[in-house]
Amino acid sequence: MTEVSARTEEVHGAMDDPGTGSGPPPARPRWVVAVPVAAVVVVLAAVPLFLAPFATTTLTRLLVFGLLAVSLDLLVGVTGLPSLGHAAYFGAGAYAAGWVSIHLTAAIPVPLLVGAAVGGLAAAATGWVAVRSAGVYFLMLTLAIGEVLAQVAQSWDGVTGGANGLAGIPAARLGGESLTGAGFLYWYVLGVGLLAFTAVWLLARSPFGAALRGIRDNEPRMRAIGYPTTLYKYGAFVAAGTVAGAAGSLLAAQQRLVTPDDLGFTTAAIILLAVVIGGAGSLWGPVVGAAIVVLVRDALGPGLGGHGELVLGIVFVLVVYLLPRGAAGLTTLRPSRRRRT
Amino acid sequence: MTGWLAANLLSVLNGLAIGALLFVLAVGLSLVFGMMDVLNLAHGALFLVGAYVAAALVGGGASWGAFLGALGLAAVIGLLAGGGLSAMTEPLRRRSHLDQALLTLGVALIVAEVLQIVFGDDPLAVPAPPGLDGSVSLLGAAYPTYRLALIGVGAVLAVAVHVLVERTTLGALIRATVADREMVAAVGVDNRRVKIAVFAAGSMLATVAGVLGGPIYGASVGLDSTVLILALVVVVIGGLGSVRGALVGALVIGQIESLGRALLPDLASFVLFGALALVLVLRPQGLFGSRAGAAA
Amino acid sequence: MAEYTLSRRALLMLLGAGAAAPALAACGSSVGGGSGSGGEEGGPVKVGLVVPQSGVYAPLGTDMQRGWDLWLQQHGNRIGGREVTTVVADEGENPQTGVPAVQRVLQADQVDLVVGLVNSATALGAAPLMSEAKKILVVANAGAADITGKARTPYVWRTSFQNAQVAAAAGPHLAEQNIPGGVFLIASDYAAGTEVRAGFKAAYEAAGGRIAGEASPPFGTTQDYQPFLAQIRQSGAGAVFCFFAGAEAVRFVQQYAQFGLKDSVPLYGSGFLTEGGVLDAQAEAALGVRTSLFYTDQLDNPANRAFVEAYRAAYDDAVPTCYSVSTFDAAAVLDRALGAATALDGDSVSAALGGVGSIDDSPRGPWTFDGQNPLQTMYLRTVEGTPGQLVNAVTADLGQKAQV
Repeated sequence: MTEVSARTEEVHGAMDDPGTGSGPPPARPRWVVAVPVAAVVVVLAAVPLFLAPFATTTLTRLLVFGLLAVSLDLLVGVTGLPSLGHAAYFGAGAYAAGWVSIHLTAAIPVPLLVGAAVGGLAAAATGWVAVRSAGVYFLMLTLAIGEVLAQVAQSWDGVTGGANGLAGIPAARLGGESLTGAGFLYWYVLGVGLLAFTAVWLLARSPFGAALRGIRDNEPRMRAIGYPTTLYKYGAFVAAGTVAGAAGSLLAAQQRLVTPDDLGFTTAAIILLAVVIGGAGSLWGPVVGAAIVVLVRDALGPGLGGHGELVLGIVFVLVVYLLPRGAAGLTTLRPSRRRRT
Repeated sequence: MTGWLAANLLSVLNGLAIGALLFVLAVGLSLVFGMMDVLNLAHGALFLVGAYVAAALVGGGASWGAFLGALGLAAVIGLLAGGGLSAMTEPLRRRSHLDQALLTLGVALIVAEVLQIVFGDDPLAVPAPPGLDGSVSLLGAAYPTYRLALIGVGAVLAVAVHVLVERTTLGALIRATVADREMVAAVGVDNRRVKIAVFAAGSMLATVAGVLGGPIYGASVGLDSTVLILALVVVVIGGLGSVRGALVGALVIGQIESLGRALLPDLASFVLFGALALVLVLRPQGLFGSRAGAAA
Repeated sequence: MAEYTLSRRALLMLLGAGAAAPALAACGSSVGGGSGSGGEEGGPVKVGLVVPQSGVYAPLGTDMQRGWDLWLQQHGNRIGGREVTTVVADEGENPQTGVPAVQRVLQADQVDLVVGLVNSATALGAAPLMSEAKKILVVANAGAADITGKARTPYVWRTSFQNAQVAAAAGPHLAEQNIPGGVFLIASDYAAGTEVRAGFKAAYEAAGGRIAGEASPPFGTTQDYQPFLAQIRQSGAGAVFCFFAGAEAVRFVQQYAQFGLKDSVPLYGSGFLTEGGVLDAQAEAALGVRTSLFYTDQLDNPANRAFVEAYRAAYDDAVPTCYSVSTFDAAAVLDRALGAATALDGDSVSAALGGVGSIDDSPRGPWTFDGQNPLQTMYLRTVEGTPGQLVNAVTADLGQKAQV
């Protein structure tokens, strides 16, 4: 899957390689990629059999935020749109899935589909103004949209429960059985996560994804050769919002609680930094980035006597200097720096 | 009706005071971003350093000596911290803004945590210096003298920064750097020294703003991120990299935070980001923005 | 895709291996029901103390841990005759960190009981976890009504207060004074603030008072209260009742004085406004501020005198707060309950908690459980003294109050 980031140059043959600074990858047989991927999937699937419940619970959480990071990477790494409001669609999906689970049914896949749909709709409603700006202005506009939506969640007591959050979300149900065990919930989240990851990966490999990378690297040229670039960016924004909404529905199933903090600035910033830590554009790197961040903050943090944030800060600084291409850069084992043109 | 008018005039005046403070806070962020192309998310932490310096020196008993001492100490710390941040971001020169954001946010988390360890968890207050700690009667209501003085300080600093950037040789160099960094380097000016100078000055303004804001905001855990977001909003509304933009942005946000909340109390929680969204939808480059910063 | 068939086959193999070799499961398994730890009478008990050690609520966490430690220290580290092991976890600021912290002590540390929690959303998020684990959570601060109300479960008890309970206590007292112009209500714009406003308003109006106006400044992001103070002045109210905590309490009380309202419009509030470290920071601006709460270190009863003395001796002359007392009392009720219960499972302990009766030796004065929340005396407290040594002196006894 490392091919994804390196395929930039294949865009319709019209693009040169301005972004990654890496040449075309040497042709590799399929098994070079397939075998490690299969191994990772097998290990992930087998984990609940060997890990204690808390480790499995933590891993479930990592997967949820990992999927959120993948969806954001579709914007940041593939399309070149750094969003500081992506948690809004994650939270919208989480609230919708939680609300449906409480009031209608928690039967899989209803909350998942509703969460994804609401995430996508929220992105569709707000994305059109967002994608017309760029760079830091895009960053700030998405921040503003995210903060306004977080405030809506805070104020709309009747539906969201206000600052106390939407509590008492029932466990997801499959065929009439509640998935209360940490292991079963993990398998559900893993299954959805793998499907969604595959969908995003296929999207990024498609001609549509190639066009998005073209926009990232040189938007005026893409426009000049006839691409409706704003429409493409809007499409990416809505797709990312939909996947984030799906991740949100997994959060509702895992955390059994949704609060305004889930769609606020902190979550948005943390997940954006997770994408950077993991290596934007590789899709799988951000999963690792999210794992690092969530592991430090939520799993190790409570045992660090209140110094979880200090450790997180040190991790950020170290990653910037030691892993200039993010975690994804580790696989290429080349000392070259990202974005050096 | 006259009472309503007087109360709102007072809110306008108060908006000026808050705007003055926001200008001192945000102009450094704007210059560092616009000129040096570094997104410094540690700016809020620098403000908090200034606030805690003020709490430590002035908290025990307000005197002009202590207050000016706090200003001086905070300025020195700001200069050094700016130099340090400049050096830390130097290896990231050709990397994306997001890498800089990661680094500076990491630094911000570390600084905030160290401050919490050193000064404790409790919120601290900073008394205003003697003579400014009372209030005066304005439009039939008491108004704190310190906030009036703050308007004056903000005006003086705005003029000073404006003159420095628009009228001096150094300012010309700075503006030239904003316009075309490669060209400035090509004519033989050492970019890095300009960067260190701007970074140090910008950071100094942030720590000084922390001291100046002390009597209003105090010093507490979490203040850094609130202030950072406010500064980012100011800078983006005004447009990046211009002193005039930072000033207009600060005054606009000062009014939104003051008059806006007075006129729309039920929407108080929405006005700040609602206004930001509105400005960016209507003018995607900010009110006075150039193209700088449009490419992340 | 190829990897999926491969994974399924491999998974089946691993399943087989896992079943055949239990030794592999040394670090446990997440499939199937978890087993509780031993509960034989007189055996040890493991308690998860989940309190904020980082973020804006950290000062409360410090006081809560001190209250807990002091009780254990005074009672030979035994609760209900059982040797106690305390596992402390950082709740942080919000449920994003708080809920995983509860999960951590439940699942990784396998505690028998959980004590603590400041954030109401975290407590509401932890409640279903406790129900599923069938273990007891004693909430020692979080004040949301739902915790012991709409979202009540037999496994969650509270030794602190309910937001509206504290505010409502002040209602009749203010109504009695026939304040000209009525009372202006102001509270941070979030769930706790809304509960406080509703609780106060209902009690005050029921006693014949009139609300002059209401305001809800944005929570967590308001540094400057001038627009709201102008609104108060405009309303012509004769008094203000407010709810703020932490840094917001400091700023509000100071700005209230700076804008000249302190001398003309008396300030009342829920006790958290002037409780603990914030009072030192407010300095002379807090003088004369009146608040309702279930405790102050100035209470003149033998249990409190002994408690304050021991607390100051143990913690470098620090003064105990309502947060210390809630956690101290959490240990006290658990001591009685575990002494009576035959096992540590949630059902046994919950039943025993229901029968603990009146806690007569609490520093706050005698109290009992009423619907899993304390039925307790509320006090009207006035800030007195000199800056640096301000105290919340007892002004009036507002009577026994239940949750509303």
